[in-house]
Amino acid sequence: MKIIVCVKQVPDAKDVKLDPKTNTLSREGVESIMNPFDQHALEEAVRIKEAQGGEVTVITMGPPQAEAVLRDAVACGADNAVLISDRAFAGSDTWATSYTLGRAVKKLGEFDLVLCGKQAIDGDTAQVGPGLATRLGIPFVTCVQKIRETDGNTVIVERMMDDGYDVVKASLPLLLTVVKDINEPRVPSLKGKMKAKKANITMLSAADLEAEATCIGLPGSPTQVVNVFPPEPRGNKEIFTGSVDEQVDKLVAKLTPYL
Amino acid sequence: MINIDKDLCIGCGICESQCPFSAISMVDGKAKAGDNCTLCGTCIEHCEQGAISMPDLTKAVQADFGSWQGIFVYAEFRKGVLAGVSLELLGIGRKLADKKGVKLSAVLIGSNTGDTDKLLIQHGADVVYKADHPSLKNFCEDSYAAVLGDLVKEHKPEIVLAGASAIGRSFIPAVATKLHAGLTADCTGLEIRESDGALLQTRPAFGGNIMATIVCENHRPQMATVRSKVMKALEPDVHRTGDIILVEPAVSALTSKIEVLESVESEGLKVNIQEADILVSGGRGLESAKGFELIRQLADKLGAEVSASRAVVDAGWIAYPHQVGQTGKTVAPKLYIAVGISGAIQHVAGMQSADIIVAINRDADAPIFDVADFGIVGDLFEVLPKLIEKLDQR
Ligand SMILES: Cc1cc2nc3c(=O)[nH]c(=O)nc-3n(C[C@H](O)[C@H](O)[C@H](O)COP(=O)(O)OP(=O)(O)OC[C@H]3O[C@@H](n4cnc5c(N)ncnc54)[C@H](O)[C@@H]3O)c2cc1C
Ligand SMILES: Nc1ncnc2c1ncn2[C@@H]1O[C@H](COP(=O)(O)O)[C@@H](O)[C@H]1O
Repeated sequence: MKIIVCVKQVPDAKDVKLDPKTNTLSREGVESIMNPFDQHALEEAVRIKEAQGGEVTVITMGPPQAEAVLRDAVACGADNAVLISDRAFAGSDTWATSYTLGRAVKKLGEFDLVLCGKQAIDGDTAQVGPGLATRLGIPFVTCVQKIRETDGNTVIVERMMDDGYDVVKASLPLLLTVVKDINEPRVPSLKGKMKAKKANITMLSAADLEAEATCIGLPGSPTQVVNVFPPEPRGNKEIFTGSVDEQVDKLVAKLTPYL
Repeated sequence: MINIDKDLCIGCGICESQCPFSAISMVDGKAKAGDNCTLCGTCIEHCEQGAISMPDLTKAVQADFGSWQGIFVYAEFRKGVLAGVSLELLGIGRKLADKKGVKLSAVLIGSNTGDTDKLLIQHGADVVYKADHPSLKNFCEDSYAAVLGDLVKEHKPEIVLAGASAIGRSFIPAVATKLHAGLTADCTGLEIRESDGALLQTRPAFGGNIMATIVCENHRPQMATVRSKVMKALEPDVHRTGDIILVEPAVSALTSKIEVLESVESEGLKVNIQEADILVSGGRGLESAKGFELIRQLADKLGAEVSASRAVVDAGWIAYPHQVGQTGKTVAPKLYIAVGISGAIQHVAGMQSADIIVAINRDADAPIFDVADFGIVGDLFEVLPKLIEKLDQR
């Protein structure tokens, strides 16, 4: 089976802070990682390959340093790695990103399955997967928690819903987005790491993709961020004093109207 | 849609066979693009005559703005029930519609929807587009996207809102991609900009560390999803009237490439912390599953539901459906009691809309106190038993 996995390099969310003076993101000392959900997508792809044979290609759109996540992916079992990188892609929202990834996937040729993470933790939008499937004109299923069966023509998956899960059957080619329950990603082996160091990374630019200038980067993005600000403070912050007994009494008094 | 130069087109039909959306047909020996064209550009590459080109998107769409009017809310219906978030969206949708002086429409997709249409009108809709068909019984990404997408193309609402539920987050991005519309996920604020009537969409980014306001100036419709319990539903008005319009979906929209074989309800997931008036929420400070029992005791005393931080869920003391926060649920109870929770931004993102927040934590510098209305700085193993005892005496 030919599988394409979309991975994104993201800042480790817990480290990102807003500089209250300049209102800009301070990313100093923030580590870049492979989006956690994408690690599960990659793991699933590699497991399918190990069970049934085939080929796993990881693709990412990002700045040149996003190459790091591709090497991580190779270390974990990906066969091919593609970096889609161009100044012209800067400022892409999910519409432009799915356009660009769509051009790249078409360029890469035949495939059976595209796997994405459920969402990227920097934006939490969960839009690129369904958007990409739409570009490719293939069906998709989101929030897959388990691939029950695959036979090269159809797959049966469990799709997480708000009240449980649905068992869904679909035919290939297909795009799936996965949640963390699907598997436990492996730690790269020493051999994998060696392979990653030497791995060949295919580069694709906007020109390589013959991408329309009006569909990529900032000009191709329908959404624009017009303002960024810290979350509003809330709470009247009344901290009780006194002995534990007194504090609890005060709390009970305050809560009584709500009980 | 795509530009086709009639003089250059020789009617060879290659574009027709290559179009992934079946959007091109041959009319009088020339290619013609239908309005399901998504501007993917596949035909441009394949046209040997160079007869096809991409339209200038921004200008093309902008010129047409006047014809986009009104507000759509996707009314999510599954297994005989309307999702609560849909009524909440009608609440904010009503405000936006009144501000703009336009109609608010609900789009109901499903099977055997019964009186749901009336319920939507009672909660603020002026019009209900009802696509009620046996083929739409189960949620299928492609057919739902086709039904909603077709209705948007036909009626041209300037704004489309949907719940950021499993269903909404799944097919709404496909609709936005097809329509070349901007889509903002998980909005916590929606307003109309005075200067030009554009929709200002505010959402948390970077795990709630910052808020971002987003607009879609050059494209219509403007689309947004909103999580449940972020907006407030209006009180139902049984005397409200509105138009119910039956929609006959296109056959192509009803034939899905995916099939739902079975739908399994997980007992655990049915607990709905989003509906509770009072939540007692425990964090890592409880130290063990046994410690967490104190939370259940306090909740029992108050007739409250139990919720938790992610640390507790990861530790396995309680199941995921109880998790509050960015990667859990957004809750807005009347009273939220956070015990042994530090108040990480990802947690706060899910509970800051509670009316009253109480924090119990032994660390006076814990960020949870920054969002709390009342706080006790102390050891929870002393405070909780005492609190339970005093509530007993009351
Ligand atoms: C991308 C991402 C998404 C996330 N999503 C979520 C989410 O949805 N929900 C969520 O909750 N978290 C989420 N987190 C995790 C979040 O950052 C915190 O790690 C988590 O909320 C911490 O849980 P806690 O407050 O229970 O534990 P801790 O941070 O360990 O806090 C425990 C608190 O208990 C207090 N304490 C300890 N002992 C006692 C005692 N005896 N008496 C009184 N107080 C005591 C301590 O002072 C401390 O403040 C997310 C993180 C990331 C990176
Ligand atoms: N720049 C990108 N490059 C490759 N894959 C991406 C990119 N952005 C998003 N994705 C994929 O789409 C998923 C959802 O991302 P998002 O819609 O940004 O939340 C991710 O988990 C990735 O699999």
